[in-house]
Amino acid sequence: MKRTMSLKNCVHLIVIGLALSLRAGAAVAEVVAVVSARNPVTATLSNNQVVDIFLGKASRFPDGSQAVPIDQSEGSAVRDEFYLKFTGKSPAQIKAHWSKIIFTGRGRPPREVTNSIEVKKLLAKDPNAIGYIEQSLVDSSVKVLLAQ
Amino acid sequence: MISDSPANRTALNATRGSSAVTLKNWFSHAAESHILFPAIAVLVLAVIWGTTLNLIKVERASAEHSASVSSRELAETYEAQVIRALREIDQTLKLVRYAYESARKHATLSDLKAKTLLPPDLVFVVSIADNKGDIVASTRPPEKKNVADQEYFESQRSVDALSVSRPWKNKVSSEWQLQFSRRLNAPDGSFAGIVMIAVDAGYFVSGYEVDKLGEHGALGVLGTDGVFRARRSGDSITAGDTVDYAAVVPATDEPNDIRPTINAWDGVLRYTSARQLYDFPLAIVVGLSEDEQLAAARQNKRTYLWRASAASLLLILVVSVLGRLSRQLVLSRQREVEEQVAHAARVEYLAYHDGLTTLPNRSLFSKLLSQSINEAHRYKRRLAVMFLDLDHFKHVNDTLGHESGDQLLKEVATRLKDCLRESDTVARLGGDEFVVLLPELDEEKYVSTVAHKILSSVAKPFILMGDEFRVTASIGISTYPQDGLDEQTLTKNADNAMYLAKEEGKNNFQFFSEKLHANSLERLTLESGLRHALEHHEFELHYQPMRDMRSGMITGMEAVLRWHHPDIGMVVPTRFIAVAEEMGLMVPIGKWVIRTACLQNVAWQHRGLPRLKMAVNLTLRQFFDENLLADLTKILADTGMDATLLELEITESLLMRDVEKTMRVLNGLKDRGIRIAIDDFGIGYSSLATLKQFPLDTIKIDRSLIRDVASVDEDKDMTKAIVAMGRTLSLTVVAQGVETKEQAEYLRENACDEFQGFYLNRPVPAEQVAELLQTQSAISDTDANPAD
Repeated sequence: MKRTMSLKNCVHLIVIGLALSLRAGAAVAEVVAVVSARNPVTATLSNNQVVDIFLGKASRFPDGSQAVPIDQSEGSAVRDEFYLKFTGKSPAQIKAHWSKIIFTGRGRPPREVTNSIEVKKLLAKDPNAIGYIEQSLVDSSVKVLLAQ
Repeated sequence: MISDSPANRTALNATRGSSAVTLKNWFSHAAESHILFPAIAVLVLAVIWGTTLNLIKVERASAEHSASVSSRELAETYEAQVIRALREIDQTLKLVRYAYESARKHATLSDLKAKTLLPPDLVFVVSIADNKGDIVASTRPPEKKNVADQEYFESQRSVDALSVSRPWKNKVSSEWQLQFSRRLNAPDGSFAGIVMIAVDAGYFVSGYEVDKLGEHGALGVLGTDGVFRARRSGDSITAGDTVDYAAVVPATDEPNDIRPTINAWDGVLRYTSARQLYDFPLAIVVGLSEDEQLAAARQNKRTYLWRASAASLLLILVVSVLGRLSRQLVLSRQREVEEQVAHAARVEYLAYHDGLTTLPNRSLFSKLLSQSINEAHRYKRRLAVMFLDLDHFKHVNDTLGHESGDQLLKEVATRLKDCLRESDTVARLGGDEFVVLLPELDEEKYVSTVAHKILSSVAKPFILMGDEFRVTASIGISTYPQDGLDEQTLTKNADNAMYLAKEEGKNNFQFFSEKLHANSLERLTLESGLRHALEHHEFELHYQPMRDMRSGMITGMEAVLRWHHPDIGMVVPTRFIAVAEEMGLMVPIGKWVIRTACLQNVAWQHRGLPRLKMAVNLTLRQFFDENLLADLTKILADTGMDATLLELEITESLLMRDVEKTMRVLNGLKDRGIRIAIDDFGIGYSSLATLKQFPLDTIKIDRSLIRDVASVDEDKDMTKAIVAMGRTLSLTVVAQGVETKEQAEYLRENACDEFQGFYLNRPVPAEQVAELLQTQSAISDTDANPAD
């Protein structure tokens, strides 16, 4: 049951992603939000929930467990794609956002790693971590958050 | 509505008393709606506008105050945030320096980063430069490979202090950036390079919130050198512009109440707070745009003004409508009152004036007279009262109708007024009776002058229904004080004098005199006596024979009325007939006369006496009495009298009054077989032609002609002519008042038919008639000559 549903949603996401990438006109790989395969989170997270975690507005998953967002290097294509796709914001806007958070002392930006492989490594180590990688790099070590 | 009702005024008067007269006046004035409504309107307008303007003022003050307060509060918050951010940066610089100086290696940065001891490199780029200015380590790829030529690098060589660079624009991101740096020391204390942290200038103004600062607020970090390290207004971030630091940042604590000032850097009016930061060569600046902060208040001001205007308009509208309504109400009340007053005046006028002629009526005249008497008494003056009665007015009324009669009266009223002075009064007492009051007699002649004037004025012809008519007037005059001292006496005496004028042949005036007073007393006696004479059987008929001129035989009797007054004895008809006629008693008396005469005639016949003609006089009233014919029919039937023996005598003047009506009556009499005689013929002006048209039987020559018939030629001729005319018309001609043998002789010669008079024919009581007849028959048996 669950698998069928997730498959369906997967297809859905792909379609949307394709459309987005076609519009962006860039040969950017499809980006998906992922958590560790060991993460007990089974429920799908909404776009907003994912965004809140990455923008420091939420620090926990819906089930109450700690959420540790993992960012990728500033300026990397997958990072820009992720934020554009999930928040609709440009890198400058993301930077302005964090500037304000830091300046007012309300938080720090997520920890950065250099690429998706590193993300997966971290996810494998930390079941509470949440990151984003290219669709193509999804494997059994991660669970794709079927964000809507 | 709220107008000055008398009750209100009384209440006010009662409570305030006389001392507050002006106040009372003011109140009653104010209570008038045309003042009260506008006054209330002005008051309400004043309240509306006062409240509105005050509200606007208060709101503005409150908006200003809150802008001032929030500018200061924001400045405080911002100050704390900036200091904390700066300390964090300085802390990091010190940490890096410490780690560097301890470890003496360039890898310090990555170690620190790995331990997350460095601030997020998303915002902060930490770099280390060696003593030659070459960047040897950096958390990000450095913008410059060497910073030896930079001012901050140079300054760190000599001073060990936090350096805040001037802002510059990053060539890649085109963002304004700032560089914070500290000196690194070699173990020997010499200059080993610097540790730097590059930050986007925007970082220091990222706390800008549109909610609080608005689109045109200002948030900035200003160096003590007057150069803005970062400045933000809305979404626009800039840096590097220079201002006069002293002008922006006050040396002392800023005042509690911040007034808006124009910011030198962008010319915007703002509630500006600036604070020098403790321990740093920087100040923060917070500005709230006056325009935005007061926008709500301004909006409210507009709303309030609009509402106040609308309310004012509405109020003015309502008040003007109410005012109009109340004005109309007041006007209509006024009209109503005026109408009532006019009506009352009219009623009073009607009560005191004659409707037809608009002259004063009896009541007003009586008032005026008594008033004038009082004045005359006080000032020892004389006054005159004139009673005036139109002669033959009834005739006009009867022949031309009441409308013409009314018209005549109006005309007479006008003429009377024209004859009088302004101070004189003419009033109509009713019918054709007028009365004139002359309240001031300056000279003796005036009364008679006026009387003459009136008589000639009334005597002028009137045009009624297209025909000329003439009437005359009879005037009686009494004067104060000799003819009476009070109203009643004066009017009564004037009235009596007027009757005298009537008796004197009308169209004249008479002054009251004591003789007249006596006459009037007698008249009063007669009047009161006459009322009951009939029922008290005080009347008696005497009979005067008429004899045939030739044979001397008695042909008939004329019934002559006698009145036995219980006090004054026998009264002859000439003394009371006119009075009875005026009193309207002549019709019943006349009926009694005819009936009695008829009964007597029939009685004589029953006693075997010869059938005699019975002549009875008819007065004017009797003749024109509507029931005359019916009464006669009944009397004839009741008494069994032969109608052909009854002869009714009427005067010549009566014939001319109303020819048509007279003719009708005469024909009615003829239809019943009654004979008709013209009495006192010869003094009127009847023509032969006139006489011809009436169905007459007898004419009786007036005694005035007969008196001198034997001596005066003119009377002879007249008598002759009358006899001749009578012959022509086949009338019986009777001579009246024959008293001498000479007269009788002359008449016999001239073929007069019959005669009457004291010569042989004194009126006698009924019982003597039988004797007379018997004597006569004895005479006739012996001697046919009656002349003896």
